[in-house]
Amino acid sequence: MQQPAVLELANLRKTIKGKEIVKGVNLTLNPSQIFGFLGPNGAGKTTTIRMIVGLIKPTEGSVTICGYSVAHNFVKALSNVGCIIESPDMYKYLTGMENLLQLAAMDKKISKQRINDVVEMVGLQHRVNDKVDTYSLGMRQRLGIAQAIMARPKLLILDEPTNGLDPAGMTEFRKLIRKLAYEDGMAVFVSSHLLLEIQQMCDVVSIIKQGSVITTTLVQDILHDDKIEWQLNDPEKAITLLREHWNIVAVRLKNDTISADIGQHSLDKLNEFLIREGIALTYCSTKQHTLEDLFLDLTVGDEIV
Amino acid sequence: MFSLIENEVIKMISKKRLLFVFAILIVLISVFAYGQNQTQERTKAQLTQRMGITATDDWRKLADQQLIDMKNRLDSPYRGENSKASLRVRMEQLQYNLDQNINPLEQSAAKFTTRFMEQSIFLFLPLLIIMLAADMVSGESSSGTIKLLLVRNVPRWKILLSKYLTLIILEVIVLFFAFVLSVVISGIFFGFGGWFAPVATGFKVLAGKLDSTSVLNVPQWNYSLMVYSLAFFVAVVVGSISFMISVLVKSTAASIGIIMSTLVAGNFISFFLSDWKVTRYMFMVNLRLTDYLSGSFQPIEGMNMLFSITVLLGWTIASLIISFVYFTKQDILV
Repeated sequence: MQQPAVLELANLRKTIKGKEIVKGVNLTLNPSQIFGFLGPNGAGKTTTIRMIVGLIKPTEGSVTICGYSVAHNFVKALSNVGCIIESPDMYKYLTGMENLLQLAAMDKKISKQRINDVVEMVGLQHRVNDKVDTYSLGMRQRLGIAQAIMARPKLLILDEPTNGLDPAGMTEFRKLIRKLAYEDGMAVFVSSHLLLEIQQMCDVVSIIKQGSVITTTLVQDILHDDKIEWQLNDPEKAITLLREHWNIVAVRLKNDTISADIGQHSLDKLNEFLIREGIALTYCSTKQHTLEDLFLDLTVGDEIV
Repeated sequence: MFSLIENEVIKMISKKRLLFVFAILIVLISVFAYGQNQTQERTKAQLTQRMGITATDDWRKLADQQLIDMKNRLDSPYRGENSKASLRVRMEQLQYNLDQNINPLEQSAAKFTTRFMEQSIFLFLPLLIIMLAADMVSGESSSGTIKLLLVRNVPRWKILLSKYLTLIILEVIVLFFAFVLSVVISGIFFGFGGWFAPVATGFKVLAGKLDSTSVLNVPQWNYSLMVYSLAFFVAVVVGSISFMISVLVKSTAASIGIIMSTLVAGNFISFFLSDWKVTRYMFMVNLRLTDYLSGSFQPIEGMNMLFSITVLLGWTIASLIISFVYFTKQDILV
């Protein structure tokens, strides 16, 4: 029998105060998959996550974690989840260790040894007995990650996890996430508006805008999609020619620069064609499509709702 | 469930709020005891001046005289049953004082401890409970830590129940400490005795008048026990209502403000609007349960111990239902 997906969202919708914030999100997450949930501020990322972990009830649709419905079998579903929602809020009047002990006490299967292990994993061993009051945001983030992975969940949900981490901390964090996913088989759900972060860390990315998922793709596919930039003397003519003869949609970037996705066409042939048509090429470059381009293409110009 | 309650207790202790409550108790009880001590000295001085007796030495002569006087009045055929009963109770008390050689003017730790709670039950005790209860849930909402609790594999009602049970434990602790601190501090001033002195209780209201036909004496320790039991009941009632406000309101400041102003308003509503019948169904005007024991209440037709306890129970149950329904259904957006 096939194992059920770690996370399945079916037509998830949420209306708060007459405003539809999440408009029918469908997602499937498999074990060992690092999933990026990318969207501008106010796109409905956190609302979606809150519905996944049962903090708010969906207006419509369902959340299933490891085969258990969050609405009908909350305890079993949530046994498989570790998460940080929005910010790593901890009890400030307790020490880091006391915080972890509090939360570990709610789940019988977490041993003292495991707590010490995760503290070491997130690199907090020297400060864990200080009050959280004295922690920097980055340290609280680490503590948040520690409490999320403490129970060895099958699904790890991290909302803006690298907020406040220094560059070294981010690298460590990426390493840790990869280890958890590829060695321990966790499915990791990372929400972020930091494109580079998602690009460097995730296997699959969904871009959400105004409550709807616009696209879901493998990150490597985006990266392989080549984009060409030409610097030439007559951009208007070049755009027309490319459209009429090659069915390529080019856009003008600057005064003398155009750019286009050439897909399967050969760049040599295109250049030959343009020169034959009397256009003087000054410069031509292949630009790797970054996630940022895709993200901006899809979301630019939209106001935050 | 046990570990959840343990968690809550650890949080409560780490927040130092309990310590704060104890500090207030110590200061207030000390001030009260000192004040009582001063009053007692003054009363003695006045008596000596006015009646030419030294309160400490000559009180027995006075008591003997009063006793004989009362016996005569009791024998008079024109006395109603009502006043006969109270006379009998008075005489028993005087006789006890004479037998045990206790000056009735002298304070004792037992008397003080009881009186302290009788005076605290409608305002001071509720305030202490509010300090503990009002941020149990709203504190976690405003700091965002409620999210940590609600995304565990524990159902919401269990989390709320653990908080409520913790509150009850704290109420017991506060009352216990109020009792112990009263005894210890007042004992230093007045001596630790007085636990077997008779105290009158059993008053009723009949036809709008205080009826004392069924009045009887109980030992002071027994009476104290009743007072502290009623205080515990009041603590649970006020605790439950504050707890509900704490569930409904997201900020601690707002929840403390709401419940405190309600409480204070209740104290003068009962004074100004006593002819408005609806006010008697408010929880605030029913908190003076110990007054029914000591007979020091304003006799209002229809209001008695049973009535007040029923009203308070109604409030408690309603608060709990609202708390649990709202908490398990609400969307957490903080």
